[in-house]
Amino acid sequence: MNKKTIKKITYHILILAFGFVMVYPVLWMISGSLKDNSEILTGSLNLIPDVFRWENFANGWRGFGGISFSVFFRNSLFVAVVSTIGTVLSSACIAYAFSRIKFKGSKFWFGVMLATMMLPFQVILIPQYIIFHRLGLVGTYLPILIPNFIGRAFFIYLMMQFMVSIPKELDEAAIMDGCNKYTVFTRIIFPLLRPALITSAIIQFYWAWDDFMGPLIYLQRPQMFTVSIALRNFADTTSVTDWGAMFAMSTLSLLPVFVMFLFFNKQLVEGISTTGVKG
Amino acid sequence: MAAKIEVEKKSFSLKDFIQKENTVGYVFAAPFIIGFLAFTLIPMILSLYYSFTDFNLRGGDWIGLENYVRLFNDDRFINSVLVTLRFVFVSVPLRLAFGLLVAYLLTRKAKGVSFYRALYYLPTLIGGSIAVAIVWRELFSINGAVNVMLEGLGAAPVNWFGDPRMAMWPLILMSIWQFGSSMIIFAAGLKEIPAELYEAAEMDGANKLKSFFKITLPCLSPVILYNLIMQMISAFMTFTQAFVITGGGPMDSTNFYALYVYRHAFDFFNMGYASAMSWVMLVIISIFTVIVLKTSKYWVHQN
Amino acid sequence: MKKIFTTLCLVIILTILTACGNESGGGGDDQYVIRIAWWGSQMRHDATIEVIELFMEQNPDIYIEYEFFDPDGYWTAMNTRVASDDVWDVFQMGGNFQQYIDNILDITPFIEDGTIDVSRTDESFLNTTYFEGKMVGISNGVNSNGIAFDPALFEEAGAPLLHADWTWDDFANSAMIIHENLGIYGSSALSDFIALTILVTQSGANFFDPATNSTTLGFDDPSILVPYFEMRRDLVQAGAFPDAGRLATITDIEGDLLVTGDAAMTWVASNQFITVANAAGRPLELVPLPRLTAGGESGMGLTSSQMLSISNASPYPEAAARFINFFQNDEEANRILAGERGVPIMSHIREMLSENADENLATVYAFVGLAGELDTGLGNPLESPNNPEIRDHFEFLLEQVIFGQIEAEAAAEDLRDFAEDVLARN
Repeated sequence: MNKKTIKKITYHILILAFGFVMVYPVLWMISGSLKDNSEILTGSLNLIPDVFRWENFANGWRGFGGISFSVFFRNSLFVAVVSTIGTVLSSACIAYAFSRIKFKGSKFWFGVMLATMMLPFQVILIPQYIIFHRLGLVGTYLPILIPNFIGRAFFIYLMMQFMVSIPKELDEAAIMDGCNKYTVFTRIIFPLLRPALITSAIIQFYWAWDDFMGPLIYLQRPQMFTVSIALRNFADTTSVTDWGAMFAMSTLSLLPVFVMFLFFNKQLVEGISTTGVKG
Repeated sequence: MAAKIEVEKKSFSLKDFIQKENTVGYVFAAPFIIGFLAFTLIPMILSLYYSFTDFNLRGGDWIGLENYVRLFNDDRFINSVLVTLRFVFVSVPLRLAFGLLVAYLLTRKAKGVSFYRALYYLPTLIGGSIAVAIVWRELFSINGAVNVMLEGLGAAPVNWFGDPRMAMWPLILMSIWQFGSSMIIFAAGLKEIPAELYEAAEMDGANKLKSFFKITLPCLSPVILYNLIMQMISAFMTFTQAFVITGGGPMDSTNFYALYVYRHAFDFFNMGYASAMSWVMLVIISIFTVIVLKTSKYWVHQN
Repeated sequence: MKKIFTTLCLVIILTILTACGNESGGGGDDQYVIRIAWWGSQMRHDATIEVIELFMEQNPDIYIEYEFFDPDGYWTAMNTRVASDDVWDVFQMGGNFQQYIDNILDITPFIEDGTIDVSRTDESFLNTTYFEGKMVGISNGVNSNGIAFDPALFEEAGAPLLHADWTWDDFANSAMIIHENLGIYGSSALSDFIALTILVTQSGANFFDPATNSTTLGFDDPSILVPYFEMRRDLVQAGAFPDAGRLATITDIEGDLLVTGDAAMTWVASNQFITVANAAGRPLELVPLPRLTAGGESGMGLTSSQMLSISNASPYPEAAARFINFFQNDEEANRILAGERGVPIMSHIREMLSENADENLATVYAFVGLAGELDTGLGNPLESPNNPEIRDHFEFLLEQVIFGQIEAEAAAEDLRDFAEDVLARN
């Protein structure tokens, strides 16, 4: 064996070993979906259950009072997809304004945008609910979806940082060729922003999937519940909780986000060679 | 204002107006500005107003600065600020370092990189679920896996959640463990570094380590700045981990400020007091953010 | 790759279409539509929904929209609705109902006109939901707190078995004997704040003054709080009581240390006894809380574990009252509910449920009967809207005492001053 192969093998072994430590808690959760309550709660750290309780999945999937998890999964998918599209598109536009256009008050609005991240949701929650209630939107998906179409500071700023590395000369050249400020965005900046767009989509999809507070207070009928709310409805620590069923559904709820990640991640890897910007 | 005067001087042309920098800027920023005015500004103003009242769910009266005076005499609030700062200063650098290291290791052109990245992103996906809270409590309990490992290494077992000096560490470790988002962002940033730069460095005889410091870090510095600011702000807001795992204890050693705000707002119905806390913290967080932004010009390379 | 992408797009479009096509709410024009909400776990959600459907079948003029939550989420949702005057018509309430008293309708008229039939229950049960001249709801189940213990472990350790008239000193001694002889904890977690306030009652005072409707403290001398701080500190330091780290690992009552065999006693609300005993799979017994002195004041009382209340903004309070009546009195409904919310207050429901009761349920019914006899008649001395804040501060002080940061006397004084401040401020 030559030196290079040994190096390669050590690389893979190290990555895998550390990766196993990383995902061990996740694996434990997955194995919990096949255990019964006592085995989960007595802190057995085994990954292989004593008895495989596949019925946890059936018990969990049945949901609550005839509303099964298929409904919750469909709702979550709807919310996550719409909000991902909304967030990515609106954030890209706003980022373009802040990083490429010199308009009056841009510094002020940028500061405001960062400040909106610094006030905890706990004190904003109730006033925001009152607004949506006055608008008659409580009980629909709109209070959860609308905030995604006004951009998210986290992604706006991310895209701004990526635009920094897109040379200004490209814009200037495009304007020479007859583009205006609007078409520079759609033809030059937006396509070149691809890695940042994909990154944002991966993260936002997961955030929307995992969001709990919004759906909790705004969706008023169980038929509209998302998976993240449904999962919490298994647990009442002062009463009886079917932990096995909860773990089973938690495991299933990982699947869509994980698949989405694999899909986008592939795009991210494939995207490199074609879009590499030469600075 | 200036734009308006100019428009009046020349005869008004819609086409020119639309192409003005100011117009373009506001058109593209419109989603944020409209959204902010409609859904965020009013709640922010209301919370500022509440902070001068004893607002609870049954109404409230103007009490001036009383909430703010009370805050600075509330040892538990001051403790919660210190606890939060400690968390931020330990967890953010470590989380970024891990995210960067793993992202860097996984940009090589090796087989399975895509799979490995998914593997390392998995922990982030289970985020604030109840399942992960249970797992974490089991791992760090007296007879949990972490202590078994420590004993194997010849160290004494640690009473993680029972010792006020140690209870923070499982939470910090959890925060580091979920470095997935930073990793993805670093990975996307690494893709943008032109391969020619590395090739040139290699020709000059630089080794891997040298080119990491001479090329990777400087080229990545805008992304590092971004991650630093965002992770710092979100670490200041940390709530879920403490809420589901320690509940703030023992002896307030993990009573993060956001958790304390939640307690006052939703358990004790002191919405006014909770709002005052939030605004004090907003000032503290902005000071840190401004410091980072101001110092960034010394270490961030703009192209 | 392309294929996957197309499939994905199709799935997305289909989801969006179906999710949007599903917005129709229920309820015809000639129906009263009432909204109802509760918290719980899967078992309770299923049973409650079944009962709602049964009710709608029998009462076609009423349509019920329901929402259910986990216990934490419920209060967040409740608070946002209170703040915007959008509370459900019927909602589940716990011991913290005073916080929401302005939103709760007095249901006395519906009791008087017979819409809600209370002929098969008695005063002591109804009193659990009576406050300031208002009937704030009908209890879904009454409870009393007690200590569950494992007699086999007591015998093995050579500790005297517990009985109805025992003291806090007995509690501490038993815990020590069990810890010394078996190496396990004497007791699992206590509900510390309730224990403390009951101790105050046992000392001849009250934590909150009933004469002022709990707007002032019912005691002056902080020294009556000291024994509790000291007992807890000594037990933890001796290893006979779990420390904060061990307590944090108890996930729910099925994972209680008594269930796992790591402790010989634990605090339960009476309805939890069945769950604990079933999960343990060993014979357990249930006794009232310890007293300050043998034969002295027990401080015990019946509390409503939870109730159904009607919003005073409800447009159809009568329809809501009819549902509550059904929920409390209908035999078929209660066969579905199976007493999961606590010991039912209606005698015919209790009788029906005890027909095929196991030993544990019989224990609980007997215990609640005993608690009713010992009832101090003060209502619940614990209840003040400021409970959560005072309790939180007490638990903080208790931890400081256990970690040796402050003395028990200082903690007791601090707690009294803090509670006075909170009450004065509100």
